[in-house]
Amino acid sequence: MSRIAIALWNPIVSKEYRSRMRTWRSPLAMTVYILLLGGVGWAIFASTAATARNSFNGSQAANYGQVLFLWLILFQMVLLAFITPALTAGAVSSERERQTIDLLFVTRLPAFSILWGKLLASMSFVILLLLLSVPIFSLVFLFGGIELDQVLIAFLVTAVAALTLGIIGLACSTAFKRTLPATVAAYGAAFILLAGSLLFGLLFPTDINPNATKAPAPPAVTYLSPVLPLVVIGTNGPVNGYGVRYGNFGMSQGGGMACSAGPNGNQSCYMTTVPIGKGAFMNPPQPSGTTIPSGLFSGWQYWQATITMQLIISLAALILSALLLPPIRHLPWRRRAGVPG
Amino acid sequence: MIAVEGLTKVYGSRTALDHVSFEVPKGEIFGFVGPNGAGKTTTLRILSALLEPTSGRALVDGADVTEHPDLVHERLGYMPDFFGVYDQLTAGEYLDFYASCYRQPKARRKKIADDLLELVGLTDRRDQAVDTLSRGLKQRLCLARALVHDPAVLLLDEPASGLDPRARVEMREILKELQTMGKTIVISSHILPELTELCTMIGIIDQGRMRATGPVHEVIRQLTAGRRLRITVLGRKEEAAAVLKPLSAIHEVVMVNGSIEARYDGDDAAAAGILQSLVAAGIKVFSFSQLEGGLEDAFMKATSEDI
Repeated sequence: MSRIAIALWNPIVSKEYRSRMRTWRSPLAMTVYILLLGGVGWAIFASTAATARNSFNGSQAANYGQVLFLWLILFQMVLLAFITPALTAGAVSSERERQTIDLLFVTRLPAFSILWGKLLASMSFVILLLLLSVPIFSLVFLFGGIELDQVLIAFLVTAVAALTLGIIGLACSTAFKRTLPATVAAYGAAFILLAGSLLFGLLFPTDINPNATKAPAPPAVTYLSPVLPLVVIGTNGPVNGYGVRYGNFGMSQGGGMACSAGPNGNQSCYMTTVPIGKGAFMNPPQPSGTTIPSGLFSGWQYWQATITMQLIISLAALILSALLLPPIRHLPWRRRAGVPG
Repeated sequence: MIAVEGLTKVYGSRTALDHVSFEVPKGEIFGFVGPNGAGKTTTLRILSALLEPTSGRALVDGADVTEHPDLVHERLGYMPDFFGVYDQLTAGEYLDFYASCYRQPKARRKKIADDLLELVGLTDRRDQAVDTLSRGLKQRLCLARALVHDPAVLLLDEPASGLDPRARVEMREILKELQTMGKTIVISSHILPELTELCTMIGIIDQGRMRATGPVHEVIRQLTAGRRLRITVLGRKEEAAAVLKPLSAIHEVVMVNGSIEARYDGDDAAAAGILQSLVAAGIKVFSFSQLEGGLEDAFMKATSEDI
C-alpha cells in the first residue's frame, strides 16, 4: 500500500465507520437531515407555486429557481454548521473520557494519523449528507435560473466550510480534556465563522475612499463566512450595500441615506432623494458581477477568497491539533539521538 | 531488556518519582510493588513513552523512551490499570483494529486474532461485542491486545485488579505461558502472594523511591530480619522453650498453635546447633523446619521505615 493510501485509509477510519454505522444515530441523523432540507424546499416551492398561480409568466420561473436554490443552500449550510462540530468536537476528548486514548498512543500510529483518521471519518459522513441532498437540489433545475456550475461551486463552498468547522472542532477536542467544553468551544467557533464575520462587516464596514476608482468591497474578514459567497452564487449578482459605509458622502443618483457627524460627536442620518455631498463622490463606482471589486482579494471571486481563507485556518488548526495531541510533545525540529538497533 | 536510571518525575511541588533505578534482564518477570500513589503507574507510563520524565533515563530493549517513543511502542505491549473498550466492535474486530494500528499485514491479522483469542481463552467470544464482556474477560482481551505485535516486553499495570479468584488464577496461568514464550514482563500489583509465586524479580517502591530491588528471594531475605524456626515437640513444650531461651543465637521464642516459633540469627549450622541442644536436653522433637519471611513481611518492612 502506498504512503498516500495508508494516510488516507488508516485503521481509525474503518473502525469509526463500523462504530458509527452500527448505531441508530446515523440513520436517524440522515433521515432528519433530509426531512428538514426537503421540508424547507417544499415550503419554498409551495409558497412560490401559490404566488405563481395568481400571476405567472415564463420569465418568473428562473427567479423562483434562484430563490429556492438560495434558501436551500443557506439552510444546508446552517444544518451542517450544527452537525459538523458535533461530529468532531468529541473525536479525541471522548477517547480520553473512555480511557482508550493511551491504547492508541502506544500503537505505531503517529498522532497525526489518529487526527487524520478521525477527521476523514467525520468528513465522510458530511459528504454523505451532501450527496443525500443532491436529489432535493435537482428540483431547482425544474425552474431553471441556476446553472450546474453554480450548484457545484456552492457545494464546494459548503463542503470546505464544513471541513473548516470540522477541523476547528477537532482542534477543540484536542485542546480540551472533556467533550462538553470542547463542544461549546466548537459551536462558538462555528458561530464566529458563520455569523460573527458577517456581523463584523456590519459593525466595521469599509469606508469609501474619496479617490477610489473601484467599487468598495466589504472588509476581508467577512469573506471568512460562507454565507457571503453562497448569496453571491445563489443570486449570481454583486454584493450591494453590505459592509460598506457611505459616511459623509452621498450615494448614487437616486439619493439614499446621508449621515453627518454632529458637534457632540454623534452621527445623525436622514434619507435624501437628491444627490448630496462633494461632487466627486456623488456617483461612487458600483460593484458589478460576482468578483470582489477592491481590497485584498480584488478581482477574486467571493467563493475563492472564502475557500482560501478557510483552508488557511483549517491548516493552522490541524497543525495546532497535531502539536497538542501527542502525550509527549516535542517540537518537530528537535534533534534526536541516534536510532538504537 | 529494561534499564531505568535515576528516573525522576515532578508534578508542580510534588515529586512522584525520586531517582528510581532498576534493571530487568530479558525473560524475567518483574513484580513492581508499592502502596497506592507510590509511583508504580507513573513509572510504567514513562516506560510506555506516555509520560516524559523530569530527569533520568529509561531504556526499553535499548530504545530511549523520550528519544525514540516509536521504537519503544514497537517493542513493548502495555496494559493500563484502567482502560476502556470501543462499543459496537466484536472481540475479533477489536484485535484486528489494534493489529492494523501496529501495521500488521492484513493477511496475518485474522491468524493473529485467532491465536491470541485462543491464548487468553476467548475463542468462543470472537463475535461477541467487547462492551458486553465481563471485567475479567475484558482484562484478558486487553492482554491479548497488548500482544498483537508480538512485543518482547510487556508492561502490565494491575492486571489482576478487580478479578475474581478464578479469573486471577487464569490470568496467572496466561502470564506463566507468556514467560515460557520468552517475554520480559513487568507487573505492578497489590496481590503479593501471587507475585511471590509468579515473579522472578521484584522492586518495592514507596513515596516515589525504590526501596529494594532484585531477585524475589534475595529481597525477602534482605528485608526480613533474622530467621525463624518452627519446632513441634511431643509434650514438654514449656521445657523445650526453657531450653531454647538461654541459647545465644535465639532472640525470641513464642507459642503458635501448639508449636514453638523461635527467631534466631545465624546460618544453617546455627539452626542445627539449636536442634542438637533440644535433643541433648531429652526433648522429643517431632518436626523442625525453617520459616522463610514472605513478600508481605518484606513489603511491610520496606514501606514502614526509611531505608
